[in-house]
Amino acid sequence: MTAQTQSPEVGPRAAVASGGGRRSGGRNRPVARKVSLRARFARDRSLIIMTLPAIILMAVFAYVPMAGNVIAWQDYSPYVGIVNSPFVAWDNFVRVLSSPAFLHAVENTLVITAFQLVFFFPIPIILALLLNSVVTPSIRTTIQSIVYLPHFFSWVLVITIFQQMFGGAGLVNQVLAGTGTSGFDWMTNPDTFLLLITSQSVWKDAGWGIIIFLAALSTIDPSLYEASVVDGANRWRRMWHITLPALRPVVILLLILRLGDALTVGFEQLILQRDAVGSQVSEVIDTYVYYQGVINGDWSFATAAGLMKGVISLLLVLGANKLAHMMGEAGVYQRS
Amino acid sequence: MTPTPRRLTAQSRRTFLTLIGAGVLGSTVLAGCRTEGGGASSDPTTAGAVADGVLPTYTALDYVEPDFPSVNGSTAGFATIPAELVQAFDAPPGSGSTFTAMTPLWGAIPPSTGNQYYDAVNEALGSTVKFQISDGNTYGDKLAAVLASAADVPDWVCIPTWNIPPRFDQAVETLFEDLTPFLAGDAISQYKHLANIPTDVWKFCVFDGKLKALPFPGEIITDAIFYRDDIFAEEGITELPTDGQALLDLAKQLTGGNRWGANDLWNTAVIIHGVVPKWQINDDGTLTHRYETDEYRAALEWNAALFSQGSVHPDAVANTGDAKQRFESGEVLISNDGVGGWHEALGRQLATNPSYSQRPFTPFAADGGSPVLWKGNPANIISFLKANDDKAKIEEQIAIADFLASPYGTTEYALINSGVEGVHYNLGDDGLPIPTELAATELQPTYIFLADPPVVNTKVQYPGFVEAFCTWMADASQYVQDPAFFGMQITEPNEFGSLAQPMTDLESDISRGRKSMDDLDPAIENWRASGGDELRQFYQDILDAQ
Repeated sequence: MTAQTQSPEVGPRAAVASGGGRRSGGRNRPVARKVSLRARFARDRSLIIMTLPAIILMAVFAYVPMAGNVIAWQDYSPYVGIVNSPFVAWDNFVRVLSSPAFLHAVENTLVITAFQLVFFFPIPIILALLLNSVVTPSIRTTIQSIVYLPHFFSWVLVITIFQQMFGGAGLVNQVLAGTGTSGFDWMTNPDTFLLLITSQSVWKDAGWGIIIFLAALSTIDPSLYEASVVDGANRWRRMWHITLPALRPVVILLLILRLGDALTVGFEQLILQRDAVGSQVSEVIDTYVYYQGVINGDWSFATAAGLMKGVISLLLVLGANKLAHMMGEAGVYQRS
Repeated sequence: MTPTPRRLTAQSRRTFLTLIGAGVLGSTVLAGCRTEGGGASSDPTTAGAVADGVLPTYTALDYVEPDFPSVNGSTAGFATIPAELVQAFDAPPGSGSTFTAMTPLWGAIPPSTGNQYYDAVNEALGSTVKFQISDGNTYGDKLAAVLASAADVPDWVCIPTWNIPPRFDQAVETLFEDLTPFLAGDAISQYKHLANIPTDVWKFCVFDGKLKALPFPGEIITDAIFYRDDIFAEEGITELPTDGQALLDLAKQLTGGNRWGANDLWNTAVIIHGVVPKWQINDDGTLTHRYETDEYRAALEWNAALFSQGSVHPDAVANTGDAKQRFESGEVLISNDGVGGWHEALGRQLATNPSYSQRPFTPFAADGGSPVLWKGNPANIISFLKANDDKAKIEEQIAIADFLASPYGTTEYALINSGVEGVHYNLGDDGLPIPTELAATELQPTYIFLADPPVVNTKVQYPGFVEAFCTWMADASQYVQDPAFFGMQITEPNEFGSLAQPMTDLESDISRGRKSMDDLDPAIENWRASGGDELRQFYQDILDAQ
């Protein structure tokens, strides 16, 4: 029972820890507000100077280019420039929303996201729990290194490996043909494409995804486990009452971030396989924007589509964060 | 010299179909709200028309007579090397500048440093051309990005006509030098090799009433269906197909084990069904688009049959890997390619596999009747010079182009096409050059894409090739017909840019059985509604103005 009385504290405690990067804890806040902006500036000068390089980097490579989004309201052509391209108000947005091809791309994107949320997202958690139960450090680090490795392969390589293994002329089919069994071509079957890209993602990135969960697991106070063992809790109860509650803030944080990325599903991975399975199942927002904008030269249309994607993603993150707060979780950030 | 793969891959086919296209400003409902992107070329009455004053004066120049003369416009060929080569340039034409040049290549990219071929040609030019070579199969994508950023545009840009990016009418206006003042009329007389290029070819280099480009002249037949005659002989196959069904049967018969009958033969389907390149002019003077023709429908059905009977290599089904590599390694025995792909394959293979051989099928029609081959553009690959305030630089580039256009029988031509004796080739007992292994890596089509003499076949280094090529094309030339709007450089308005994309995807989907023929009619209906009918009107106006 000790575990149960202690576990509710994990949430708030983590909240303070994650939100508490600010210089003051909750009790000091009223005092902090009275300090003038100037005084605060003087006090934090060295810290501010230290963040300057990052801020400049953000400004130059993230905020200045954002101004280019103005072409979403133009009939932009790179050959005449932003200044000379005619202004068309909301035309491009109207066209994006009335384009069946775009809506189809959105649908594909959401289907892929939903599928991967169920079949990809939990896998690193499970892997981390399994790995955490391995006691011998040498075995643990070996396994860790092996499962991290595919993350460093490029998508071109991953897809080539899959093609060489599971393609119609691949290893598996050659072995099958050798035994007289008729082969299958997993790489060109649009019906199983969801499964295929999810398998590729799992193979490539599931290992990498466990890092953050392992870190969270390592922060659990061993005395909690010891106390629960004394209270007679078995392995499952310990996981249910100690391990999982400790992981909860991290899982929720990653879920919220994933939601912000809901409209982004592996551009490279999909564009590389677009010809193999056809655009019907593989066209997502990002590939659609690329073909419309860069290949077909409709830059403004593509920008409008991209901008809408960005705004919707932001709303999703804010909404999910709000939801997390309402459920008493820390979320991505907190208002002071 | 001829370029390699033409409209072979899905990518280049896609961009070819959007030909000379245009941005994408789609919906017609909103079209009224914005200004038209194009210049005068958007006006159908002037599109494709060329004022006489713009074209250079043609002055024929013959150093040697071909052994295989042209028949009905087919490519003439040489089987021997003239005893005495003429040196056309006493001094290098260049004045020491360095120019960057972007060109496509369908093959392994040669080393840029320590390349003895580049060094020798640059020395003869008196200027340095630094190549930025990109994969030909994805050249259009690269080009679209490079042209969009004016600072990144090289001094010399080669653009295959099927890769012309959207809104090109604007690009050509702002990015590239107008060559009219340098070459129009008699101005060309100081460049005698450029003056030797026929007027029809130059006509294809005119954009918006200005001479804008330098040509790589094309052949009247651009594509062929090749088979591995060496392997056919081993297998004892002597009867070659004479109709579509026979080709399907042959492909099926050849498939087995780790060998497949064919690559994606969409282009073959188009050829044997005689599908028009773009428009068909009906008896009453109206236009029918290729998508709307019975031939197109039949071609799709044929290609779908080929895929569904399992004769296509799985990597071709997945559209990955290198189709040429599969064909040359013998994994696939039938493949379509640009006619220039023939000698390029010989160049890659003969050094290591002397018995390697491929041949084109004698043209046949799917129904066994008389085939129709649509005439290729007078120039399929053209090159542009980046606009430069320093006119001396432009003149230097044109002088280099004049050097590159030196015809067969000159030392200049020999250098550009065969490299350096003792390094890239050695003369055999019969006086014909035998390429070295270094030639297979260094001697890739590069300079020729910037400017080239009128097309002739001079690949004497591959035994028997010139004769086989020229007799095949001389025979095939009897089936060649002019397509509608032949030889006209027409820039379509921007809003039609993305029209072809869904149809190109559909071609791939139906061929591979992901969609059925029932999906074709709704797609054509959608094509008409989303701009196809307007595109038809655009061309109809051009036709009526003729």
